[in-house]
Amino acid sequence: MIQLFNVFKSYGGVSPALDGVTLTIHKGDFVYLTGPSGAGKTTLLKILFRRERLDRGQVLVHGFNVGKLDDSRLYQLRRKIGVVFQDYKLLPRKTVFQNVAFAQEVIGVDRKTVKAHTWQALKEVGLTQKRNAYPPELSGGEQQRVAIARALVNRPSILLADEPTGNLDPAMAAEILALFEQANRNGVTVVLATHNQELLRAGRYPVITLNRGRVVES
Amino acid sequence: MRALFQFLNNVLGATAHNLKANRQVFLVSVATITVALSILGLFLLVFSNLKSMMSTWDRQVQLIVYLDDDVSEDQKSKLRALFEGHPEVEEVAFTSREEAWENFRHSFSGGADFIQDLDFNPLPGSFHMRFKSSPDRLDKIKDFAQVLNKQPGVESLEYGEKWVARFEKFMIFIQVFLLAVGGLLCLGLILIISNTIKLSYYSRQDEIELMRLIGATNRYIRTPFLLEGVCVGFFGAVASLALLKAMHYYIQLRFQESLDFLTRGVVIQFLPFSWSVSMVVVSMAVGLMGSYYSIHQFLESGDRQ
Ligand SMILES: Nc1ncnc2c1ncn2[C@@H]1O[C@H](COP(=O)(O)OP(=O)(O)OP(=O)(O)O)[C@@H](O)[C@H]1O
Ligand SMILES: [Mg+2]
Repeated sequence: MIQLFNVFKSYGGVSPALDGVTLTIHKGDFVYLTGPSGAGKTTLLKILFRRERLDRGQVLVHGFNVGKLDDSRLYQLRRKIGVVFQDYKLLPRKTVFQNVAFAQEVIGVDRKTVKAHTWQALKEVGLTQKRNAYPPELSGGEQQRVAIARALVNRPSILLADEPTGNLDPAMAAEILALFEQANRNGVTVVLATHNQELLRAGRYPVITLNRGRVVES
Repeated sequence: MRALFQFLNNVLGATAHNLKANRQVFLVSVATITVALSILGLFLLVFSNLKSMMSTWDRQVQLIVYLDDDVSEDQKSKLRALFEGHPEVEEVAFTSREEAWENFRHSFSGGADFIQDLDFNPLPGSFHMRFKSSPDRLDKIKDFAQVLNKQPGVESLEYGEKWVARFEKFMIFIQVFLLAVGGLLCLGLILIISNTIKLSYYSRQDEIELMRLIGATNRYIRTPFLLEGVCVGFFGAVASLALLKAMHYYIQLRFQESLDFLTRGVVIQFLPFSWSVSMVVVSMAVGLMGSYYSIHQFLESGDRQ
């Protein structure tokens, strides 16, 4: 499902952000990605949906050779991947419902399906009552859940989440984690970048640790 | 088919949304285009009217060959053959001395008595030739006149309404001038529209970035902006036509009578329908080019955004 071989990525700084990363994540896996700040977690995730280009190495995601993928076919890769961004990237002038619907509209899903799927996705994250609220009116945890609903609404095969429990209390963090686990049970491959020691210590899933752009243990 | 319908539906929705969100910039650029096209349109209005007046005046461009009083039939038919053989001559008409006299008397009937009393005919017979329309018609007429001057039986030559032919040259100049002005104007409008679209793009940058990350195609992202440019062009052109129509109406109301001596009874016309349509189409094309130009730059910058 996800394979990296000797991936190298530099932003031009003294040391590269990713320095010869090799790893494999299988279909249906749930893995944590961790490491100290600046280790390259976000960079790694960005390379998977080609938000950033890699300098060297091989990246295979869902059968796409990401490094060699033509710009005109990039959208095909991205439709396979749902991303929960660290800063959510919700559109502040659209309601919760419109935000989730938007993700489907822009890939040409027809109106009826959009409605049904949006409703379903909001139900899964427990936000149907807030459907007409605007993101700035929501708590951090609620915004996080909208972002998850949006990432999952197009039924991706891979879900990437960057620091999804970053500023949530433990109870809320556990709720959010449950949502990812639910998605994983439905067959979605989940990669979750986090510092959250509580999650990591629970020890239910494999952990990939990065340090200064290198994989430390796997 | 359904997918296409869905695509159009979404794209049109997005365009309408853009226009609303970006109303002020949109209106300003529509107004700019309205003003620019109105200026061009005024030129065109003058030009199209001159052109239609030209075609009435055009009939008066002719070469008149007056014949000797004692011209023989033989000479006459030789001359006629010469005229008719000339490739630029469109029409030849012969007026005999008697006909000329009749016409003359007729147009002065009720006039001075001494003319009616004249008991001989002072008028010569003549050939009137009309030439085919061409930019160097006057030169051709002159050349031909040189040849004719030496022919036996020809008494004298006269050009009717020489100035019309000169004016035709002027019209060609105006045509080139209009083309140049129109071209420059279009270039300016393309830049203005591309700037409008750029602003529209910036105001929605977050949304577009998100669309890209979610997996919208470039075409899906681009089309609303292209349509926005086309809309700017369309509304600008329609507004300028409305403005021109109002000006035309006003001019007719105020000045038609005082202009009559110039127009010789020709009513000042509005732009021909085909020209109006062309203006709208060109303006829409300009809008498309402007928006394509700016959106191309953004989407070329790849997927980093
Ligand atoms: N856009 C960028 N331009 C330049 N340097 C960057 C950019 N993004 C990341 N870096 C650098 O690359 C390195 C890895 O950054 P990255 O964001 O991947 O770390 P991270 O593991 O996600 O850290 P954190 O846990 O703080 O989110 C850092 O040294 C960072 O300064
Ligand atoms: Mg990070």
